[in-house]
Amino acid sequence: MNTAHAIKESKASAQAFFSMRDVHAYYGESYIVQGVSFEVQESEIVALLGRNGAGKTSTLRAIARAPQPRVTQGEIRLDNTALHTLAPHLAARAGVQLVPEDRRVIPGISVEENLIVAQVAKPLGWNLERIYEHFPRLAERRKQDAATLSGGEQQMLAVARAMARDIKLLLLDEPYEGLAPKIVQEIESIVAQIKTLGITTIIVEQNAIAALKLADKAVILDMGQIVFTGNAQDVLDDRKLRDRYLAI
Amino acid sequence: MSGNLVNALTLQVLTGMQLGAVYALIALGLTLIFGTLGVVNFAHGALYLIAAYLAVFISTELGFFAAVFIVPALLFMVGWGLERGLIKSFYSRPHTDQILVTFGLALVTEEGLKWAFGSNNIPFPLPQWGTGIVKLQEYLPFLDGFVAFPKWRLVMILVALTVISLLFVLLKFTRFGLVIRAGMRDSGMLRFLGVNISQRFAVVFGMGALIAGVAGVFGGPITQVSPDVGMHLLVPSFLVVVIGGMGSLGGALLSSLILGMALSFTAEYSAVQQIIVYLVAVIVLLVRPRGLFGKQGVFE
Repeated sequence: MNTAHAIKESKASAQAFFSMRDVHAYYGESYIVQGVSFEVQESEIVALLGRNGAGKTSTLRAIARAPQPRVTQGEIRLDNTALHTLAPHLAARAGVQLVPEDRRVIPGISVEENLIVAQVAKPLGWNLERIYEHFPRLAERRKQDAATLSGGEQQMLAVARAMARDIKLLLLDEPYEGLAPKIVQEIESIVAQIKTLGITTIIVEQNAIAALKLADKAVILDMGQIVFTGNAQDVLDDRKLRDRYLAI
Repeated sequence: MSGNLVNALTLQVLTGMQLGAVYALIALGLTLIFGTLGVVNFAHGALYLIAAYLAVFISTELGFFAAVFIVPALLFMVGWGLERGLIKSFYSRPHTDQILVTFGLALVTEEGLKWAFGSNNIPFPLPQWGTGIVKLQEYLPFLDGFVAFPKWRLVMILVALTVISLLFVLLKFTRFGLVIRAGMRDSGMLRFLGVNISQRFAVVFGMGALIAGVAGVFGGPITQVSPDVGMHLLVPSFLVVVIGGMGSLGGALLSSLILGMALSFTAEYSAVQQIIVYLVAVIVLLVRPRGLFGKQGVFE
């Protein structure tokens, strides 16, 4: 091993797979993300929790480099790539994949076309065959306009579309929101499958218990700042902490 | 139905299609740009104008067929350059700002051409093969007696149909088209999927300009080539877009046909013809405020 390589290796091992350092972000004039720092190790699942308006979705959107909120300060790194300087499509190509809160399946085109659109830019993940194997419901509806799918099916499509890309970091924003309990179970089993694949994931979820059962680590946000970082099990065990920041 | 009436109706319908064809080509570009980029491009008439002027000069120097290939290609570059150089900075600004800057561009183009070539019409001679008339009764057996229609106007209709079909195939059956259609619905999500949609939208702007280029080459001999033609065409073409529904390509086609017919069938009553376009707009918008195929949330 030459010296330069050795230095690079040691630097990489010192840095977490994903990290946010002192990130500040604004929606217009509103100061939403107020100096957030946390790390995620490779293959880890982190539950990002907090009350409504705590800045969870904004944090995910900042990582995915959405135009809003506007990041004014701080660093976001994934696998040694500086994300905070990238345009959203370049962040996606660097391996960030957001499954947004409102699913954002594209209406007016079919289920299959929604998946094809995810495979326009490299690097690619699962091919259609593999996606349909894991999501047989989508295979049945492949020719259907994506807008005609039920909420649960749209969520499946949103997750499947993410799997169509080669992901280093999956950002799941409220995957269970607005779904019937039976459908939630179905999506939960899909997310559990994703966990077995070892994809590094940050999950934001109002249903904190569900997220915590799935996650290795928990990060709790309050008023745009981090108030807790630790094991997911610790949050499940600490009633006081949950009462104070999560109200569950 | 008497033979004369059938003859007259056929001519009116063809004239309507021809008038609609010019509007359709301009409105297609307008609505394509609006639907993808959300920009109301008031400079679109100026693009037609530039194309018509270029076509006159190139066809005089190099022949008409050279103009058919060169002008749309040049216009594509003009459109692409315009988007990358100027319009791009206006996406996040209000529609009124976009209208002001594109309208300003239109005025600058118009006055610039006036300054360079004068305000008079520049003769745009038809190519030899396009002159003369077509004896319609030879092709349409239901016509009675001698029914003639200018050959160039038929060419115009055919060109418009060809452009519309090509655009339809491009948008409906290619991967590029799929990305554009998806981008029209949710460009932000496409970015999250790694697609550099802005780059493709610049190509769309170029395509809109290219279509205006085709319209300028074939429409120039019909609409005349003078600095005010751009604005004269822009207003009805913009109404075509509004009547069809902002951002709907199908709507733009249907409404250009409706307007062409309305103009053709009122040709004998010039007072009515002058207001018919606006009358149709008022009626359609009263019944369907979003236009024929307008979608909820677009430009609202």
